[in-house]
Amino acid sequence: MLNRSILKKGLFSYRSYHPSLKEYVKPATLSPLTYNKESVQYKILSNALTKWVPKHGFKEKAITDSLNELGFSSSLLSVIGASNSPAIFRSISPAVMELIKFQLVSKRYELTENLCPDTTPKNELPSLESLLLKRLEMDKAIGKQIPHLFAELATPSSFLFDVALPELHRLSDDMIYFSNEKDHHDMAWYTKRLGVSCAYVSSKLYMAQDNSRDFEDTLSFAKDKLHRIMKLGEYYNNTEEYAWYMFMVSTNLVRARLARS
Amino acid sequence: MTAELQQPKGNHRYQEPSQARMLKIPYNSTLSSGIRSFSVLSGLRATTIEPSNTNHPKSQSHLKNDEPTVKHANLSNAQKAYLDRAIRVDQAGELGANYIYAGQMFVLLRKHPHLKPILTHMWEQEVHHHNTFNALQLKNRVRPSLLTPFWKVGAIAMGVTTAAISPEAAMACTEAVETVIGGHYNEQLRVLTNQFELDKTDGTRGVPKEVRKLINTIKEFRDQELEHLDTAIKNDSKEAVPYKIITEGIKGICRIAVWSAERI
Repeated sequence: MLNRSILKKGLFSYRSYHPSLKEYVKPATLSPLTYNKESVQYKILSNALTKWVPKHGFKEKAITDSLNELGFSSSLLSVIGASNSPAIFRSISPAVMELIKFQLVSKRYELTENLCPDTTPKNELPSLESLLLKRLEMDKAIGKQIPHLFAELATPSSFLFDVALPELHRLSDDMIYFSNEKDHHDMAWYTKRLGVSCAYVSSKLYMAQDNSRDFEDTLSFAKDKLHRIMKLGEYYNNTEEYAWYMFMVSTNLVRARLARS
Repeated sequence: MTAELQQPKGNHRYQEPSQARMLKIPYNSTLSSGIRSFSVLSGLRATTIEPSNTNHPKSQSHLKNDEPTVKHANLSNAQKAYLDRAIRVDQAGELGANYIYAGQMFVLLRKHPHLKPILTHMWEQEVHHHNTFNALQLKNRVRPSLLTPFWKVGAIAMGVTTAAISPEAAMACTEAVETVIGGHYNEQLRVLTNQFELDKTDGTRGVPKEVRKLINTIKEFRDQELEHLDTAIKNDSKEAVPYKIITEGIKGICRIAVWSAERI
């Protein structure tokens, strides 16, 4: 049961076909959220995220404060968490789950908002590194809350497989698609995305303990990490090309010998 | 991209795949960071030209004017899932076909040079199909089949073994593969033409342009695959020695491959 859900949700069903945007009306929701930018939920949650989360962390209090500030009744808390089923083995309220989901999804959309690889030439798109750094910089304001956020995201539960991991991989997929990075048709498609996901998560973990001014260390760590992963890809490429070259050379050598005798 | 999809057969912009070409190390100049990218046996790839790069997109302002005023309702999740697996399986299938011909040519060309024009023609068409689906896969952000390395090895092995038996066996292999592919394309066309009528903002219903384009591409490719089938029969595929075993065995393998490439 759990295995099936991991496979289906973490790997397969979230990498679906992306239709061209020009031909269709704008989707009604900001998938996988169940509402769009104009909705009340969006306003409440984005206000909570920018104003109250840096103060209280990812807690119900951040949402109630945001509700009070915008003049809503605090009973709306249960409405906000309505799309999540309550956690059984852990103490996290559905509203907080929604807030965490919102933090991941809204920032992912924000990252690539004005980019359109369909119409812009490849060399005018930002580089993968700049997108990665931009995404990390978006979380500067909630820097102190990252350990708690990570704890919630990484706790083994259905939330991890339904929200945290798919969002992580969607983020790395987006970062590659919207950047000028070369994309691939084979296993490299997977390895590159996994590599970017790894770089992102490890930089985020570094950020959780980073005390440097304006998270400078984190940014240089992320650059270094990404660079090293790409380097690894290059080593692999070179080995592969060498092996193929040697194979062709030896085949031709054998052929030449055979033709002579 | 548009021009790419509607390009008629023949007139290939892709360079002729040859041994010398295979050894060339591709280098993608669009990488600004100077970092070389990941690749798997890039030398084996018959072409290294990215259709999306060669055919430069038009300027943004021009495309904005192009934007249709009448829009379609969004595709449902089921429709998206279908397109997803259709593109994935077609890409994997064309990859397989491409590598089968590569394997056959590797064995046959020296002993039976008279087959060269036929095989080269068919191989070039397969390479064109493969590139088209590669471009579609990247454009629509469909994940490639996870079994891609296995398809590559399997396809080359299939091409090499059948060609090693006899040229007729190679043709029987082509016949079996193209039969399954043709049938599979027909099945896809049936679904794509039946199930993708969407409401439009002006009150009418219609199939979205990108789906229509995909239908046309698949139609064109199906016709070419069936042409290969005829070529194979003309070249004595029926005279292959264990004819029944080869064709039925390969058909079975192809069906299993289609089933798994759609899913994994």
